[in-house]
Amino acid sequence: MLRLILAILLRRLIVVIPMLLVVSVMIFVILRLLPVDPIAMIISPTALPHEVEATRAFHGLDKPIPVQYLIWIGNVFSGDFGNAISFRVSVLNLVGETLPATIELALFALFFAVIIGFGAGLYMFHVRGTVRETVTDVFSIAMLSFPDFLWALILILLVGVQWAILPFTGRYGPEFIAPDITGFIFLDAIITADGPLLWSALGHIILPALALALAFAPLIMRVLKSSLTEVMTEDYITLARLRGISEWRILLRHALKNGVLPTLTLVGVQFGFLFGGTLLVEIIFAYPGLGNLMVRAIRNTDLPVIQMAALTYCVVVLASNTVVDVLYVVLNPKLRKE
Amino acid sequence: MSLVEARDITLSARIGDMSVEVLRNVSFTLEAGETLGLVGESGAGKSMIGRLFSQLLPPGFAVSAGELIFDGENLITMSQTKRRRLLGKRIAFVPQEPMTALNPVLSIGSQFNEHLKRLGVRGGRARRDLAIKILSEVHLPEPELLLGKYPHQLSGGMCQRALIALAFAGDPVLVVADEPTTALDVMTQARIMALIAEMQQLHGTAMILITHDLRLAAHVCDKILVMYAGDVVERSGARDLLADPRHPYTRSLKRANPTISGPRMRLPTLPDQMPGLVEFSNLSGCRFSPRCPVNADACRAGVPAMLEIGPGHDVLCVPACASGERDISEVEAPPAPGGNGTDAPLVELKNVSRRFVTRGKWFANATTVDAVNDVSFAIGQGEFIGIVGESGSGKTTVARMIAGLDQPTEGQILVRGKDARLQTAEAKAERLETLQMIFQDPQSALNPRRMVESLLTQAMEADHRNHDAEERGGRAVDLLREIGLPGDSRRRYPSQLSGGQRQRVNIGRAICIAPKVLVADEIVSGLDVSVQAQILNLLLRLREELDISLLLISHDLSVVRYICSRVFVMHKGCVVESGPTEQVFADPQHAYTRTLLSAVPPDDADSPWPPLFSESEADVVRAF
Repeated sequence: MLRLILAILLRRLIVVIPMLLVVSVMIFVILRLLPVDPIAMIISPTALPHEVEATRAFHGLDKPIPVQYLIWIGNVFSGDFGNAISFRVSVLNLVGETLPATIELALFALFFAVIIGFGAGLYMFHVRGTVRETVTDVFSIAMLSFPDFLWALILILLVGVQWAILPFTGRYGPEFIAPDITGFIFLDAIITADGPLLWSALGHIILPALALALAFAPLIMRVLKSSLTEVMTEDYITLARLRGISEWRILLRHALKNGVLPTLTLVGVQFGFLFGGTLLVEIIFAYPGLGNLMVRAIRNTDLPVIQMAALTYCVVVLASNTVVDVLYVVLNPKLRKE
Repeated sequence: MSLVEARDITLSARIGDMSVEVLRNVSFTLEAGETLGLVGESGAGKSMIGRLFSQLLPPGFAVSAGELIFDGENLITMSQTKRRRLLGKRIAFVPQEPMTALNPVLSIGSQFNEHLKRLGVRGGRARRDLAIKILSEVHLPEPELLLGKYPHQLSGGMCQRALIALAFAGDPVLVVADEPTTALDVMTQARIMALIAEMQQLHGTAMILITHDLRLAAHVCDKILVMYAGDVVERSGARDLLADPRHPYTRSLKRANPTISGPRMRLPTLPDQMPGLVEFSNLSGCRFSPRCPVNADACRAGVPAMLEIGPGHDVLCVPACASGERDISEVEAPPAPGGNGTDAPLVELKNVSRRFVTRGKWFANATTVDAVNDVSFAIGQGEFIGIVGESGSGKTTVARMIAGLDQPTEGQILVRGKDARLQTAEAKAERLETLQMIFQDPQSALNPRRMVESLLTQAMEADHRNHDAEERGGRAVDLLREIGLPGDSRRRYPSQLSGGQRQRVNIGRAICIAPKVLVADEIVSGLDVSVQAQILNLLLRLREELDISLLLISHDLSVVRYICSRVFVMHKGCVVESGPTEQVFADPQHAYTRTLLSAVPPDDADSPWPPLFSESEADVVRAF
């Protein structure tokens, strides 16, 4: 089993490297073909033409695009991701500071989405064939048409402003100073045994994560319900009934283990969208993550930061697909053939 | 007191706003340790009787009258909880499709563990030991290793053995086996039936065997109910039934199945097929009367009463017909079509081999399988040739290579004397005009979005400039007549046809451009016996009218005997025996042919079956 998982990872790695190269070329070229000038954003309005050219040359932006790319990619391979043009710090530092926050947000969102999606999916399956099925059906379709940013606004207005029970800006309360150990605030809070910080971070992440989860959960519940309905007509379910196995046991042990496979594919594919969805939600909640960085970089046309952030999104999506592949092998013995 | 007593059970179904009697007045008794066979074609209601025991009925179905007494208690009125307590413990089931009846994501061991836990075996160690014990009881090799395996790693026969082990694990008093061997090939069928009989002996279990195979039932059952459209039409001791069937339906059923020995009789065909549930309400009187070959007026007036014609032998028929006085005359069949031997062969295989090499994966070495090994034969004009063998013997690969869907790795295939590998447009066109393939499953072979007319003349599209719509329409009408379908089926879709009609369209489509050779892979195996007889007679008629040749791939030896003049017996990729069908079947030379023939339930109710495969025979089979 372990050997097989390693084989999958190895195979993935071989595919991923050329794929990332292609993506990096695309991002690089598109960004440079855009009619924007990053130099215009950082230089003083009174600069003389030769000063502009000097700055341009300093950042290497006067060279042909292929040469720029080769320089950049060469630096990347030696571990140098370049400096941000407007922030004047290393791109790696910027991404390194913000990525953990976004990963935390996405994982919490995924966790909530799976809990809500599975719970609701099982409930929908349970009430199939009754009036309540029609009700849940209509309800789930309505849910499906709600985008995450709308949920974000509703949650802020309702939970944050109206009831005022949860905070809705930032990553943790302003009274804390984050111990920067791993960058993951929850991990850091646990390492330093800082209970109040952990509590504050938890309070802050609930609303943005929930906004993302509520948009994602209806998909999970619909796919889970339909795959369970299909699995329940299989021969082995009938035979389990004929062996006198209880309905609960049939559902949880026999049907769910099979029915979860299509759901898992969906979660894997959709996780990329969820991760992309963090961008808007982070802005709404002023959450200092990769999405916020990306938006700021776009505003400043800070090309190195944009391309790095875009590549990071790409890597995260590929990584999540790999995790799903591995999970598939763990859950589906048919794929375990070596 | 009998173990099971069914008293006048009527099962009703609600279809739309109609109420249909799916089963009518079903009565039988079953003693402890006895075997009862339920025989009939699909739609007869035999599986519904099996389902009565679990009361897992389709939605809208309910028992409206009668009672089913099991061990003194009525299963129909019993509470669900109480009934569930019986299932798996006192009443066990053996399913039809062994490959899909085990949960694919749970190991065999965990499925046994779950079942044994429910049966009340305490302790993981004890359950494991018991699982190993019962798995060796069903002769599965290396049961310890098997526990860690998953269903997809097992063959169909092994899955069925595991399921039989599960069924008998709780020492049940009754086992309901619904077509337990239908999905398996002949050899495995004989072995599985022998195993079930052995387990029954060992545990003293009574069994209800649901099957479409009258001969098989006659050999393994004590008594048999013959079902037709929800009625029990005949009830008798098993041997008596096969030797002297009385109901016209039972008689047709017996004769519609070609035999493996004795004189070859022409298969009498019943018109149409078993009525569907919705048609039941239109039938007055005896439900068989519209198809009955000896039909009396009395049958249509009302349902005849159960007529006792001998000790334990009852027939649902009028006395005149049941006495056999108005029997259907039997005609000896003409010899199976053979070639005249003088013309040049249409298709010729010269030392053809096909080797499959699986690519080496990350951590596995490449493996090679010789699916077909040095096979040579020729098909002449008008000749019907059969290839028989177990699944995995390479017979389908031969058919695929002849049809050009696969290429031999060694040797040569000649179509009308020209190498089948020639890729010129001319050579391709000639091959298509010579050879057409008929696929096994018409359900998936016919495009569901096309009408019969367009399906039948699909072959004309290859060269569409030469055929206009009018010509195609005309050809479709001719073909419909040829395959015996009513003219108005032209504008129907495959889903609006019955299984037998779909197979007719499938055949009609292959003869559209009047090819010389048909390659047919198991084309009757999914059909009911009476429909199978219709299709076989259709093939023979096409031979007479069109002088067509046929290569029939089949695991059913009696079908091959009925229509093929020459037969090739394949085993593990090699042809082990070949010759004129009559001669090979009457006097088989190779040990494998003998084993294969002995696996077919004989016509004579007194000859013992299933055979005990002797060690030496098994060795020959394995060593080959």
